[in-house]
This record gives sequence, C-alpha cells and structure tokens, in this order.
Amino acid sequence: MHTIVCVKQVLDPEIPPAKFKIDPAAKQVIPPAGVPPVISVFDERAVEAACRLKDKHKGKITVISMGTAKAADVVKHAISMGADDGYVLQDPAFENLDSFGTAYVLGKAIQKIGGYDLVLCGRQAADWGAGQVGSILAEILGIPVVTLACAIEAVEKKLRVKRMVKDGYEVLEAPMPSLVTVSSEIGLPRLPGGMGLMMARKKQIPVWKAQDIGAESSKLDKANAHTEVTGLSVPTRKTECEIIAGGTPGEAAVNLALKLIKLI
Amino acid sequence: MSPVSATYWGIPGYVIFWILFAIAFGLFAQRFYFLFRLMRLGKLENRFDRIGERIKTMLVEVVPQWCTLKTVTRKDLAGIGHALLFWCFSLFFISYIIFIGLAGGFGLSPLIEGTPFETVYFSILDIAAVLVTLTLIVAAVRRYVIRVQRLEPSAEAGIILMMVFSLMVLHVFGVGFDHASQGVHASWPPIGATLAGLLSGTGLAQGTLEAASRGVWWLHYMVILSFMVYIPRSKHLHILASLVNAFFKQLGPKVVLEPIPLEALEAPEGSVTFGVSKIQDFTWKDLLDLYACAVCGRCHVNCPAQLTGKTLSPREVIHNLKEHLLQAGPGLLANKAEASSDNQGESQAETPAKTPTKSMIGDVVTEEEIWACTTCGACQEVCPVNIEHIRKIIDLRRNLVLTQSKMPESAQLMLRNMQSRGHPWAGVQSMRLRGDWTSDLDLKILADGDNADTLFWVGCTGALVERNVKATLSMTRVLKAAGVDFGVLGEAETCCGDPARRAGYEFQFQMMAEQNIEIFKGHNIKEIITTCPHCYNTIKHEYPRYGGDFKVVHYTQLIADLIRQGRLKLTNELNSKLTYHDPCYLGRYNSVYMEPRRILQAIPKAKLEEMERSRDTGFCCGGGGGLMWIEEQPGTTKINQMRLEDVLKTGAETVVTACPYCLQMFEDSIEHKEIKDSLKARDLVELVEAALTK
Repeated sequence: MHTIVCVKQVLDPEIPPAKFKIDPAAKQVIPPAGVPPVISVFDERAVEAACRLKDKHKGKITVISMGTAKAADVVKHAISMGADDGYVLQDPAFENLDSFGTAYVLGKAIQKIGGYDLVLCGRQAADWGAGQVGSILAEILGIPVVTLACAIEAVEKKLRVKRMVKDGYEVLEAPMPSLVTVSSEIGLPRLPGGMGLMMARKKQIPVWKAQDIGAESSKLDKANAHTEVTGLSVPTRKTECEIIAGGTPGEAAVNLALKLIKLI
Repeated sequence: MSPVSATYWGIPGYVIFWILFAIAFGLFAQRFYFLFRLMRLGKLENRFDRIGERIKTMLVEVVPQWCTLKTVTRKDLAGIGHALLFWCFSLFFISYIIFIGLAGGFGLSPLIEGTPFETVYFSILDIAAVLVTLTLIVAAVRRYVIRVQRLEPSAEAGIILMMVFSLMVLHVFGVGFDHASQGVHASWPPIGATLAGLLSGTGLAQGTLEAASRGVWWLHYMVILSFMVYIPRSKHLHILASLVNAFFKQLGPKVVLEPIPLEALEAPEGSVTFGVSKIQDFTWKDLLDLYACAVCGRCHVNCPAQLTGKTLSPREVIHNLKEHLLQAGPGLLANKAEASSDNQGESQAETPAKTPTKSMIGDVVTEEEIWACTTCGACQEVCPVNIEHIRKIIDLRRNLVLTQSKMPESAQLMLRNMQSRGHPWAGVQSMRLRGDWTSDLDLKILADGDNADTLFWVGCTGALVERNVKATLSMTRVLKAAGVDFGVLGEAETCCGDPARRAGYEFQFQMMAEQNIEIFKGHNIKEIITTCPHCYNTIKHEYPRYGGDFKVVHYTQLIADLIRQGRLKLTNELNSKLTYHDPCYLGRYNSVYMEPRRILQAIPKAKLEEMERSRDTGFCCGGGGGLMWIEEQPGTTKINQMRLEDVLKTGAETVVTACPYCLQMFEDSIEHKEIKDSLKARDLVELVEAALTK
C-alpha cells in the first residue's frame, strides 16, 4: 500500500498572541524571530494516519511539502515518524499561491510520483485554515474524496473511513486510490522513535522546481488566481470581568442567574 | 593434637577434612561460576581503566568501612554495627584459615597450638565474639521486633544471623572443651577459659570431654563450610560482590549515562532495540550491581518517590531485577550455548520454553515506577555498595521512548516541544519567546561571527518562565556590577538537552549537544556560566563526550569567588531567617555545597537555618529527571509539598535555592498551601542583588 501525504510548514501556533504581527499593507504575516516554524498540526495527524496504516499493512509512505527550502524540516519530521521518502516543492512561482494553485502544484507532483493507493491531507492548514486544498486536489487527480476522517482502515482493497459529523461519525467506504483529509480526532501523533530519527538524519530530501513536475506557468500566474486576499487584520479580543455581588453565596447565585437570563 | 589427626571408623581425619572441604568448595564454585556466566550475559562495558585508583578506592571503602559508616546518621546507626561485624568477622575469617585450615587441614597444629600467638589471637576473638553477638541481637531486634522501615524481614536474614551466632558459640565452646579435655588451667582467652573451668567442674569423664571437644570442632568446621556454600546462594552474596563492585565503581562524576553507540544505528532496521528491555540488554556492571545488593533499604527510605507514596522503590527495583536474572538466567544461558554451537545455521529463534515468561518492563519493573524517578541521586548517595540505580532507570526509559513509543502524555508533549521548538516549554505555558528576556537590556548578544571568552548560558527555564526570568535579570545585573565581561546567545539559545536525556530521548539530546557545541565553538567561547544546575551538569560532564570541552562554572561558584576577591560587596542587610535548599544536580551531583552557604554568610544579617535533610542528604524538589514537565505519578503527596514541610520546620521566612526548577517547585507548593504571605521562595542571586552596595 502506497500512501502519499501532503504536509505544510506553518508558523508555530503556540506563540503567544501578543507576539503575532502582520503587515496589513502587504497583507502578510511577519514571522517572529527565534521561533522555528513547525509542521501543521492537522498534517502531522495525516502522517500519523499513514503510519498507522503502514504499521498494519506494511507498504510505503511518501511525503511532499510545498514551501521554502526549510520545508525539508517538516518532511524529515514525517520521515522520523515513519515515512519512507519525501520531496520539497520549492520555486519562486509557488509563493503565495491560493488553494487552487497549491492543489495544482501538489497534483502535478503526485502524478509524477504515481502508483499510489491513498492521498492524505490535513483537514485544513493550521495557518490560513481554508480547508480547500484536499478537495480540489482530489478533483484534479480525479479520485474520490472523504473529508474530516477520524479513523482509516484498509479492508479488502477498499478504504473504510470514519468521518466526523456534527453529532458523531459516519462510516464510508471508498475505493483505492482515494483522497482523505484527516481531522484531529484521529489522536495524538507519535513521538519519533530512535530508528526514525536516524533515518531522517541520513535521508536526502530532493527539491522539485516547477519544471521538474511539469507545472505550466499559466496555472501559477497570480492573475489567474481564483481567490484574492483583500484585507488582513489581527482580531482583537476583549474580556470584561464583572463580579456579581450578593450578601450570601446564595444571593450572589440568584443575582448571577438574573443577569444571565437577561443575556439569553 | 588437632582432631583432624585422629582416625574415625578407620578413616583418617585428614581424608574426611578434605572430602568435606571439596564438597563445600565444589558447591561454592558451582554457584559462583553460574553467577559469573549470568553476569557475562550482559553487554560489554569497559571498567578496567585506572586500575591503581580502583584498588585504592576499594580499599578505602571496605577496610575502614567507609562504605557503611558514611551512611550513619543520628536516626540510623546501623552502619556502626555493620562496621563492627565486618572487622570482627574478618578476624574470624583469618582465624579459620590459620587455626582450622593450616593447623587442621595441613597438620601444622604442633607449630601453632599452645603458642602465645594462639592465646592472644583467641583472646581477641573472644572479645570479637561478644561484640558480634551483641550486634546480632541488635540486628535481630531491628528486623523482627522494631521492624525498621527500610528492612524487609526475610528468612534469609534470619538464617544468616543464626549461622553467625552459632559460629560465635562454637568458637568459645571449642576453646572451652579443648582446654577442659586437656586439663589446661589458664585465664586466657577469657571466655573460653571460663567455660573450660565450668566444664571441668561438671565432673564429666575425660573421654567424654575429649569426644565432645572433637565433636564441637567438626561441627564448627561444618558450619563454616555451610556458610561458604550459603553465601553465593543468598543476599549475603554481597560479601563478595560488593567488594568487586567497589573496584568497578563509577569513578569521576557520580551519575554517568552512557550514550547509545551510533554504530547501533547503522544496523538493519528492526534488528536494534534502544535502551534496555531484556535483562541481558544491561551491561555486566549493571548485573554485578544486582549481586552486590544486600537489600539494606537505605535507598528505599531516602527515595523521594517512595517517601511520597509512589510505587517506585529503588530497593525493590534492584531486588526484583536480581530475582528476574536468577530466574531467567538458565534459559538465557542455554540459548546462548545453542546459538554458539549452531553459528553456521540460520539464527535460531528463541524457543518458547527458554524465553523468560516475564517481560522485564511491566512485570519486573512497572512503567509507573520507571516514570516516578526524579534522578535526584539520593539512592546512589547512600548506597554502601555502589549500585548505579539511575542509569538503569534511564535505560528502561530509553527503551520505552525510543523503541516502544510508550510514555506518559505529558512526557510526549515535552519531548515534542524539545523537538520542534528546541526547548521543553510550550508557548501556552509561558507567554514569552526565547530572546524576550534580553529586550531593553544593554547586553552583548552574540551574532554570527561575534566572539566572546565568557558566555552566560541562561537555560530555557531562565529565559522563558516569567518567575525565573526575574532571577536571570538579577544575574545579569550582578555580573555587570562585578565587571564581568560576558556575552549571551539571546534567541539563538536552545535547551541544553537535559530533559530529553533524562526522559530517555537520547538522540534528541545528542543532536542538541552537538548543535550547542558547534555554536559555542563558533563564538570561540572558553568559559560558560550557568544559572541552572542541570545545564551545568550537562555541559560540564556530558558535552565532553561530544567534543565540547569548556570551562563550566555555576553562578554560585562564580559569585562566591567574586565576593572573596572583593569585586562584589554585599552591604545591605537582609535581616531575615532563611533556609537553603540544595539542588540535587548542584549538590549531590557536583558536590557544590560550600559556595552557596558562603554567599549567604556574606549577606549581612542573613540568618541561615539548615533543614534536617540538607547537603548530601538533601531532599529533591520533585522537578529533576524531566519531572518538571512529566506529570508526577499518583502517590500520597507531591514531592514539592513534602519538601515544603521540611522548610516550614526551620521557621524560615525565605527558602533560598540556586536552581530554576527548584524555585518553580517551591513557588508551586507555596501557592498550593496558600502561605504566600509568610514564606517567600528566592533564587540566591536575587538575594545577592538585593544586598549589593548601590
């Protein structure tokens, strides 16, 4: 079984909110100094899902990441978790692509790799959170897509996927190959073991440019983008605290209840 | 005339003597060889360096009994009893060689019997027998009447006490019957001679006395032989093994963790396990440790995890591992023999019958025990027989983390942070970033290509946690006041790797060590000042293995020195009663006890009140060994809360320490007990800054 996982390198979401800065004019995020970027948490769960399938059915995992040269770090991280091969897709033409452009590039790389049974993505990226790439990518590859998976099994050449819905989950079956986007409910990703760390250390990560994957420049042209960022701002969060008074705890509780009734 | 020269039922006494000896020695040697082969199942480790130093260490520990006398406290005087027993029994042991072996077995009795040498030696033995008997009585009372906490009353201990006691009785009766049967009227040796007088007074026939004398002699001989047979089959194996263990003890730093050899990683996938999951994964020295244990339980009553109700007991860990080795050993030896006789064929799978039925992690040592250890070193400090508990625990953790991927969720979170963020703290735990503490300060922050002789290595807790940042800032101001020229790394500083290493995540540690050493070398750094004792220990003792040889000083050493040189003048009065908590990695690990106290003495009107558990018996704060981040195992109380009670007993208003973890742990326990108004936790450097002449 060959699984291809798409991973993205993002700004560490654990940084304190006060340190998060943007450039509203350029509509860009300014990465704070001294904070190494990390693998998007949802994509890390997609790698975990792939590793669990590999634990059970053997096979091979290939990881791709579109980004800067530093994206090799997240590819290596996936290898340390149990992936076998990895590629970085880096080209000036890939910068600031929208979901459609990103899916196009990933699709080209996946077609070049070929011979896959399953493509996994995180349910969304931990930075922009659009949640579009997975579905568009499936469309480009011409394969079925199941989103928001919390468990994936391979049963007799088919995929059985538990998919999160509003008040529980549904179980879907899909043929191979298919694309599945993975949700956090799949569980904590593993800590890379000793063997994995050493594999990652030794592994060379090839970098593919636009011409390596045969990406057409017209598809990467910003003028042809389907979406446009019209504004960027940091949401302001205001908290107000009011102590509800009362002679006794019971009175205070009554006052609180009255206050809450008014708010509903 | 020695009873050996007589003939019994037509058989010469000599024949009986040597046959008995051959049987006993055979049984002894058989067991000894078995134990030796078991030990050889362990992995290789070189402890054959510095032979001269090793011999000296062994003699110093054993002959004057420093091994047990060092553990004597007001509450536990048992070490004195052990020393007495050791010295007296050594005299007896020598007497067995001379008076039974040489005089009896080799027929030299005419040369020895009746000589002043014999009289003097036997007189000394009489006194020794009394001392031994008294010690045995105390030992029995402690075990079976008072039931001292650290000792498990066992049948083995009872058998040994009875055997030693019977040897004493047989010794004095031997002399008594000998003198009585030969009609010797002497006043020396005192007890033997008195007994002889009493026996002569009974009016027993000469022949009866002679027969009894011979009987006692042979009985004595046989008890000695049984003792020899019993030793390697009981916990009294420590008599031999602890001697050898003292020779092979860890020289240099007290707790040393061996790196996982990188060659292991070149092996094909699946064929390597990291750390220790089977008894034969330990090194032979680790297995020798198990033989050396006399189950004295000193570690048991000094272990912070055990004292706060966790399941971990270092005594039980070692004892259970030994039992496991003895149980699983024969099967493992058979496998080994099979493998070597069959080395031509394909590697044989272990047959189920010979594979240990117990899995070591889980059945012999539980995961709960493995994660309860703070690596504080209290067990190793008190261990009279040089057992290295901590590296065994870390080896077990290595296997759990690197091979099995099994660890508490809190440990995984910490290790993931180390891996992706270069430090163990997650952003939500501290609202700061690595370089933040340097903002608005006039500091030499080393950029690429900058050089500095002296680096102030802040450590991740000192750079990221708000409470500890205060101490870091105090430190920079104190250094500046003393005119010390230093650089800092600012946001380029990562963790030293200690939490990863203690949690068993060895490769993460190795990568961080290599990376940090490269950074130090890149800035041409010669000397490193640390505020964190964990960084201090790691950079000083563990980085040299990766090519990083730097002069490392802890700030308490530096400040004590600066005060002595007059470069820091402390004049502001403190006027407060305080107590000092020894950080384990500064005190026990590195023997820095004097300097912090010297600094406190230099602060005017600082009244230092020592806690009962201080210096080498200091009690852990609960934060070592990665447990600053790994959730404490369930118990009756938390370690930091128990330590807070020690502080409160002194009546101090301030608890001073010199470690960011300890400081955090005290802040937490003070908060938990809601006594923030009456007790403050301070880093020593904060007091120094407050006392500085402005």
